[in-house]
Amino acid sequence: MDELKKKRLFDSAASPLIAILAALAVGAIVMLLTGTNPLYAYKEMFTKSFFKPYYLAETLVRSAPIMLSGVAAATVWRAGYINLGMQGQMCVGGLVAAVMAIYLPVHSLWGTALCILGGMAAATLIALIPTYLDYKFNASLIITTLMLNYAINHITNYFVAYPMRDTAGDGMAQQSVQIEQSLRFFRFSNKNAMNTSVFIAILVVILMYFVFTKTKFGYESKITGLNKNFANYGGIKSMKTMFQTMALSGALSGFAACIEIFGVRYRYVNSMFSSTGYAWTGLMAMLIAGYNPLLTLVYSIFLAGLNIGGTALQRTVGVPMQIADIIQCCITLFISVNFLYEFNKKRSGKCRKKVGKRWETGGVA
Amino acid sequence: MNNLYLAAVINTTFRYTTPVLFAALGSLACTKCAVFNVALEGQMLAASFVAIVANYYTHNAFISLLAGVAAGAFVAWIVAVFQIKWKVRDMVVGTAMNLLVQSVTAFLMQAIFGSRGTVQGFGMVPLTKINLSFLKFSPFLYRMFEDLSTIDYLGYIVAVLIFIYFYKTVSGFHLLSVGINADAADSLGIKSQRIQIWAMVFSGILCGFGGVVHAMGNVTVFAENMTSGRGFIAMGAASMAQSHPLGAIASSLFFGTALSLSKTLQGYINSYFTEAIPYLCTVLAITIYGVVISTQRRKATIKM
Repeated sequence: MDELKKKRLFDSAASPLIAILAALAVGAIVMLLTGTNPLYAYKEMFTKSFFKPYYLAETLVRSAPIMLSGVAAATVWRAGYINLGMQGQMCVGGLVAAVMAIYLPVHSLWGTALCILGGMAAATLIALIPTYLDYKFNASLIITTLMLNYAINHITNYFVAYPMRDTAGDGMAQQSVQIEQSLRFFRFSNKNAMNTSVFIAILVVILMYFVFTKTKFGYESKITGLNKNFANYGGIKSMKTMFQTMALSGALSGFAACIEIFGVRYRYVNSMFSSTGYAWTGLMAMLIAGYNPLLTLVYSIFLAGLNIGGTALQRTVGVPMQIADIIQCCITLFISVNFLYEFNKKRSGKCRKKVGKRWETGGVA
Repeated sequence: MNNLYLAAVINTTFRYTTPVLFAALGSLACTKCAVFNVALEGQMLAASFVAIVANYYTHNAFISLLAGVAAGAFVAWIVAVFQIKWKVRDMVVGTAMNLLVQSVTAFLMQAIFGSRGTVQGFGMVPLTKINLSFLKFSPFLYRMFEDLSTIDYLGYIVAVLIFIYFYKTVSGFHLLSVGINADAADSLGIKSQRIQIWAMVFSGILCGFGGVVHAMGNVTVFAENMTSGRGFIAMGAASMAQSHPLGAIASSLFFGTALSLSKTLQGYINSYFTEAIPYLCTVLAITIYGVVISTQRRKATIKM
């Protein structure tokens, strides 16, 4: 038994490592094709994402909305439902929070809290629309959530292009006016974007770990994800779980958007959540982490670092920054296969003839 | 609104229908043998991009078409290996593949053309246009079918061919049997896994056609993430048609209308809202479809 545990631990550590190395190899090949030295590029990429204080701060700040939207996705996916609409939920949450912060007479900490709650509530409501359509009319949650992303993105962009547009400055950028000073999250220094919101995001993610593993809700959603019929038989209402998880997912997405607005940008900018792709990076982080919030946190920081490093790479070496996205997608694809398992299966298939019964009883006999 | 304007709108509708129709046919070909293909979007985008690159180097519409279709099939083959051979969850491989194609095309666009955003011009040729001269007697009909490419007509023919293949041939019957029960089909000597992989590659070919038309049918252009959800719209179209090839024509025409409305209404309503129309239409259509289906089922159970 002990040996089995050790083997499992080894597998769970080794397969992400293999996937990451393979994805980096793919990235290296792509860079070689464009005529760049991959070793130099990777050195540049990793020093300018994790090993210099300024870039490390950037990475951590960028990872905050990613980890939150990743956990938001994990909440729904581990219950066996698919939410692809984190991006739209972030847009709505961010816009509503920004509108409240700009037009309501709110100040200081309580004002920020109120705006964030408003944003989260709006995002929750938006997340519940496709859920209701699925529950009542059997409309596929996958398609409706994804379609709403595009629709919401266009509609929220309207608000910063016309009614809320900041006409001061050069007037070219489609963005709202800035929110006032007292509503912003505290920044530790003027040199980088590091602020308190990152720690709040990390705390929320850790809290979600306990929600997933230690509460009735977490257990129910996990069982629903494993087997809906069994869950229903055991008295868990799978439809109720769908509504709960989607609401929580929407709230977390809204919170992720607020973190970005009150911590970094201080305003709503045209396509600020669709062009940055936080929701998709978060989705990949949680897929790599296998729905585990703590691992999602780790991988979010890693993927955010890749993005920051990729941006630096574009500036200094001239490799398009999408190289980071390519590596991220490759990690997700490679980790999904579990090559170790595939390899073992093939090998054990061959061994079975020699060893006979022993393989089937798991080595006990 | 005069008659010719209406004809122009219908013409636009046909243009927007084709990519959706092809992708919807690809989607239902997979659904029919119990494979859920989420990577339609990626297959289309890859085809669009490769077609434009081939066009840039060769200035030959036919070679670009072939290259685009091959790219769609290649992406589909990768997805098939992951999803069917290695049994990765469809949503995981589909989403990752869509994002991968999106980033690879954006990366290569900068590497090859040195530009972000859109690629246009460079003397690239569009697909061959057909004008039906026998319709000259009626300006309305002539305008309706003006300048449509061969592929636009091919879409409807392929839909009929797929219908014949599914319901009138033995190998089509085998494919349907895999969809009904893969284990039972396996026990009778049908290689279900191989059929599923081929269906996926076939859907890649169809999406390839869709992607090429999308990039080269009207204006020859490639833009970052230019398919913008059309793969998922097509998925909606296929599910509305209950995976019936001829039904897919009707549902694709509906989404084609929604897409062309979003362009033609731009003169009257703010473009930010019209851009949202096709997506909201998709949500609405799927919802209505769900209502219709559930009432049908209820009636069926009462009869039993």
